[in-house]
Amino acid sequence: MSVAASDAELARDALAGSEAAYRELVTRYATPAVNFIFRFVRDRALAEDLAQEGFLRVYQRLNTFDPSRRFSSWFFQVLRNITIDYLRVNRLPTSSLDELAEEGNQGAAVDRESASPEQIAGQRELAAAMSAALARIRPEYREVVVLRYQEGLTQPEIAEILGLPSGTVKTYLHRARKELAGILAEQGWGPATETLSSEVP
Amino acid sequence: MDRKQLERWLAEEEGGHDDAADAAFAQLFTAMPRLEPRPAFVEQAVAAAWQWRARRRRLVAFGWAAAAVLVAAGALAAYLASPTLAPPFIKVLAFVSGRAVPWFVSYATVAMSSWLTLVHVGGVIASALVTPARVAALVGVELFGLLAFFALQRIAGAGRFGDAQV
Repeated sequence: MSVAASDAELARDALAGSEAAYRELVTRYATPAVNFIFRFVRDRALAEDLAQEGFLRVYQRLNTFDPSRRFSSWFFQVLRNITIDYLRVNRLPTSSLDELAEEGNQGAAVDRESASPEQIAGQRELAAAMSAALARIRPEYREVVVLRYQEGLTQPEIAEILGLPSGTVKTYLHRARKELAGILAEQGWGPATETLSSEVP
Repeated sequence: MDRKQLERWLAEEEGGHDDAADAAFAQLFTAMPRLEPRPAFVEQAVAAAWQWRARRRRLVAFGWAAAAVLVAAGALAAYLASPTLAPPFIKVLAFVSGRAVPWFVSYATVAMSSWLTLVHVGGVIASALVTPARVAALVGVELFGLLAFFALQRIAGAGRFGDAQV
């Protein structure tokens, strides 16, 4: 099996019984899957469990995958359905903003080698604030933001996954960014606050 | 993910430059921390899939074996029992079909004529009641119902992730 095999090729080989192909597919999508689900359930262990369920369902339905489509679109569609099914049945506990900020700190990927301790702390704080803001916006907005900016999917791909017109996805992205900007500004992350504080002698 | 990236994005957003804001936000978001699944995650996922595959293969094999045994047993039973069972079976079949088919045909004829009578009566009543205004009202009510159903679907769709909201 070639290292550069496409997702569709790996899916085909996995369907034909290649364990190595399936393992490679899981390796490629493990992190995106866990992160995608985590944004909605806000529990690392639960996100991993649901991702495991997602991978099993993907394997069980590999014979329905149409190779003319992008594997990632199909994969995230399956994950989304699993997440929605879970959220329909289970009510999540309401989190305080402090807890959300703490979640945002989990595994904070900061550039430790080139940054000073103050910069690292600032980056962590910003990441936590962004994570908390993301948890506050409407779920459908959060969904498009995660798919677009976290998973790097294009607008037509997101539209395919969500079953929405491409224009609606664009509108959702625009409104989501506006809402995030508003929430961050509320919390003092806006440029105006910075300007004011820098003007203070 | 640093303050400068954030400020650049917020400035583009403030200035209404949608494409630039999109690019700046993408750059900012790429630097967001990502969770790494636990090391055993991949192996667990592969093991679960392969366990399911083995179970399914066993089930399919068992199904085929059971079908083969049933067919063989049926054929053997038919072969052994045919000399004694065949004539009575054919007699019963001929008797039943000889009684049942005429009864079915007459029943269907009666049912059909009753149905045609009902259709005629319904047609007379409808022609007496239907006017353009009433038809328009009926179509209006149906359209309203459809729109209400569509709106409910949209509302239900918007609430799918409701539990995930803080």
